[in-house]
Amino acid sequence: MTGTTLPGSTRRLPGRRATRRPGTSTTGRVVRLVVAALVGLAFIAPLYWVFVTSTLNTSQAYSFSWASLVPHPNFSNYDRAWHMAPWERFFTNTIFIAVCTVVLALLTSLLAGFAFSVMRFRGRGALFGLVLSVMMVPQSVLLIPDYIIAQHLHLLNTYWIQILPFGASVFGIFLVRQFFLNVPKELFEAAELDGCGPLRILFWVGLPMVRPALLVLGLNVLMGSWNAFLWPYVMTSSNAVRPIEVGLSVFSSTNGTDYTGLCASVSFTTIPVLVVFLLLQKQFITGAFSAAGGVRG
Amino acid sequence: MSVAARRPRRAMNSPIAYFFVLPALVIFFVFTIAPTLYTAFISLFNWNPLNISQSKFIGLSNYKNAFAGQANPSFWDTAKTSAYFVVAMVVLGPLLALLIALLLQRGGRLMSAARTATFLPNVTPLVATSLVWMWIFNGQFGLANQVLKVFGIGGPNWLESNTWAMPVVIFVSLWHELGFIAIIILGGLTTMSSELSEAAKVDGCNVFQEFIHITLPQLRPVMFFVVVISTISSLQAFTQFYTMTQGNFGTSTLSYEIYYQAFVVYHTGYAAALAIVLLVITAVLSILQFVLNRTRD
Repeated sequence: MTGTTLPGSTRRLPGRRATRRPGTSTTGRVVRLVVAALVGLAFIAPLYWVFVTSTLNTSQAYSFSWASLVPHPNFSNYDRAWHMAPWERFFTNTIFIAVCTVVLALLTSLLAGFAFSVMRFRGRGALFGLVLSVMMVPQSVLLIPDYIIAQHLHLLNTYWIQILPFGASVFGIFLVRQFFLNVPKELFEAAELDGCGPLRILFWVGLPMVRPALLVLGLNVLMGSWNAFLWPYVMTSSNAVRPIEVGLSVFSSTNGTDYTGLCASVSFTTIPVLVVFLLLQKQFITGAFSAAGGVRG
Repeated sequence: MSVAARRPRRAMNSPIAYFFVLPALVIFFVFTIAPTLYTAFISLFNWNPLNISQSKFIGLSNYKNAFAGQANPSFWDTAKTSAYFVVAMVVLGPLLALLIALLLQRGGRLMSAARTATFLPNVTPLVATSLVWMWIFNGQFGLANQVLKVFGIGGPNWLESNTWAMPVVIFVSLWHELGFIAIIILGGLTTMSSELSEAAKVDGCNVFQEFIHITLPQLRPVMFFVVVISTISSLQAFTQFYTMTQGNFGTSTLSYEIYYQAFVVYHTGYAAALAIVLLVITAVLSILQFVLNRTRD
């Protein structure tokens, strides 16, 4: 991790004094940087520790020593853990579910967000209020009735029950709507006068304008899908359709004493998430702002 | 005038708008709106999940049982446990996140790396990271107790202790959420007026006075908002409880109890009543948040 090399870089700082805010002392700045580095390291240390444990053999893992603070070139735990559960299946299921959910959620949000912002129709305000009210219902309230409904629709233990309920997103509709509200009306009016229909206006004029919103939304839905646990855990019972986190949870309850194997499986299921995060940090932060700020685009 | 009258039918007034909002509305109706009403319906029954036609209408008895504390575990114990968790998260979360945000608000590569590091836990899947912390807080081999041993302290078996299980879950949840809250607060800090703090400096305020009289009042809407979303999200927390304690050792919160009553002991009607109680609490908080959002803009 990059964090490990960071404290050393504080030494170069006095040379950059001119760019700093006036009125703060050099010692103050150095102390602040050291504390910042320590806080940052504290947050990633647990993940580092599990990664290190995943490369130790059993006796090293059970008896702490300074040598067990650095990773060893030993991947036997990965090899063992990988063969103890159908991980390929779990990964494939997760990716399939996540991609379908993202595509569906993008499509429904784009259409509804466009209609709720640019188009005019009777009942627009009331329907939009209805959409907002959906946001208030916590997932644990829906678990019981959705389980019964899924049972009746024969959707239990399928991909569908893991995709469809998340195929529409209040956050997504809100985000897309907010973006469209910021696009100058004249653009749509011009297309309208040229005789374009609503669908053409949406895809030719609107879509290019809201691409950043779609990226943020797609990422949000993707992560939600990858990290989902309670819902798929209750709604599915067979490994054939279960996603990665449910697989990991079941794996941990049946192999709870194989700590090194467990650490390996935690590592190989979490590293993909971390890679996506490190590559797309900016979008994640925008996503956090818009998810929280509710909504100001 | 005659030009306006001959204008072609406006695309943006087309009733196609209804088809645009339909897919999202159908999904919300089938998986959220109808199920919410269904939950209220189920909560009035002694529900038989194996044979629904054998369910008996019992009016408000499930609610009466809950509020009279007659179920096992008692609703009031569950409420107390939830309150313990929610209050701890809502007091410590925004407070620590504020400190982190103030520490990391400066520019520079180290600062930005530290911000990334604190935000990183928030994107990791909770099943995986709960396992990470279970390994660290393992009574026999965990890092926490190995470190305590160096200081001659024999650490407890953290997650199997009535005293320590909840504090550990709170600690882990804070680790997961702090970065997210800090990002929101950082957003608030960047939009603050720098003129005011310049003026304060001219008037001879020290850093602490500037924070109390200038920064904090401007941050108040953001902090209030962060408190509301922390309350809602900690009321709904489930995965860390399921993974780390299975609701044992004084950690059975309302959300965990809904799952347990419905899907482990099959007291579906009672679980539905608990779900409605949770829904009411969440709805009140969501409306509060919405109103706050309105006044903030």
